[in-house]
Amino acid sequence: MIIERGKMKDGNEYILVNPESLIEELKNLKENGYNYLVLMSAVDYLKYREVVYHLSSYNEEKMVVVKVRTSDDVLPSATVLWDSANWFEREIYDLMGIKFNGHPDLKRIFLPEGWVGHPLRKDYDISKEQFVNMNDDGTDRVSFDPKDGW
Amino acid sequence: MEERIIDVNFGPQHPSTHGVLRLRVKLNGETIVEAHPIIGYLHRNAEKLSENKFYPSVLIFMDRLDYVSNHNMELGYVLAVEKLADIEVPERAQWIRMMVVELNRIASHLVWLGTMGLDLGMITPFFYTFREREKIVQMFEMLSGARLTYNYISIGGVYKDIPNEFKDKFLEFYNEFPKRLEEIQKIFDENEIFIQRMKGIGYLSPEDAMSYSITGPVLRASGIKYDIRKKFPYLHYDKVEFEVPTSNECDNYARYKVRIEEMKQSLRIAKQAFDRIPEGEYFNPVYRKQGLLKIKGKGEVYSRTESPRGEFGVYIVGDGTYRPYRVRIRSPAFHNLSATNIMVKGLKIADMIATISTLDPVFGEVDR
Repeated sequence: MIIERGKMKDGNEYILVNPESLIEELKNLKENGYNYLVLMSAVDYLKYREVVYHLSSYNEEKMVVVKVRTSDDVLPSATVLWDSANWFEREIYDLMGIKFNGHPDLKRIFLPEGWVGHPLRKDYDISKEQFVNMNDDGTDRVSFDPKDGW
Repeated sequence: MEERIIDVNFGPQHPSTHGVLRLRVKLNGETIVEAHPIIGYLHRNAEKLSENKFYPSVLIFMDRLDYVSNHNMELGYVLAVEKLADIEVPERAQWIRMMVVELNRIASHLVWLGTMGLDLGMITPFFYTFREREKIVQMFEMLSGARLTYNYISIGGVYKDIPNEFKDKFLEFYNEFPKRLEEIQKIFDENEIFIQRMKGIGYLSPEDAMSYSITGPVLRASGIKYDIRKKFPYLHYDKVEFEVPTSNECDNYARYKVRIEEMKQSLRIAKQAFDRIPEGEYFNPVYRKQGLLKIKGKGEVYSRTESPRGEFGVYIVGDGTYRPYRVRIRSPAFHNLSATNIMVKGLKIADMIATISTLDPVFGEVDR
């Protein structure tokens, strides 16, 4: 279901959909020639998080933007439509903390496992340093104590 | 023979991983069953750092993304901010930008060509390609004063005007480069071992390439004619003549061939841009007077540019203050690398190294 339609500052049209119909809308667009998932971004607006899908086409010169909002940080995964959504969603989970239902391997992509918090959130405290070391079995160990780092 | 699958950790400190790529490889003998890239060893979170800086200050993070084609990274960000804040750019600056961006593309491909040779055990071409790259770097040094992080393309124009000595240097390079490139190409193409290690290795079907959002030379080598410069022209790419080289072979050799042809086309564009640089201002006079720190904008913009590795995109959300609310970077090598597993399945370890080198990842950009 489309909640809102509009134009962004750069002239691209956007549609705002609700999370339940997200995959259906994306699938419709993909069948209508938008076969290229350009970019998935997540923006933190404090009250809710917005995930933005930029779609384009490999054959034609067109572009459309799909937006979806979530306040409980759970969304359906787009990996059923594009393989590239796999790494996009891992990145968003890592840095923004949004979980994607149905993702085959949802784990952090940049930061070590065990990192506290999601850095791109507006409430993330950048003044607190975290130190990474390795456990005996090869897994990452994260702590706030500088003596525990490398 | 008994089948035994072992786990091997490859990298992140390895001479052929182009920086800090780590791969978890499942091997059956010497054949690859699975190979999963593990990234993040160079992660600095440029997106978060940008949120605490003024619009012109963010440029230094862009410089440090893809450190072999810095001009291209700067351009992507600068175009986005100019869209957001409605800043006009003088014609002279636009043509200068186009020229340096294309020269940078040649420099970037030369670095790739040399290091790909190193990965395959060919030491000679490295010195030839870096000799040519040095000439381009010297030209950039003339323009900006720096050899690596130029900070030359600026919001509202370019940082400095072209010095007089630049013209001779450019023309000398333009006349000499095609001969040199042919020389370098011969080292590769007349080498039987090189051909055998590249042809038919690392197959990437067009369907997979589209599903993995792959762009740039890797996509074009899979037979899809897609170039942002042609499809969504920015600067003055619609006013110059050039072709988009493609290949239907989908293998390592195709990617090598496409990049070689691209260098020739880039030189063509750079010369056309150089010839058409008009007289006039090279920086927006309004912003020269008031400075860049008071730039602000409200709204959301996405700028797409064709970097040497593919589509480089910058998505900025502005909230009307002097700092961006959110900067999102689309780095092409990140996606090209994500298809590693399907490309190297069933190959030998040595072929995996050749395949990764033709993907041309640069880790400043993959890890951001």
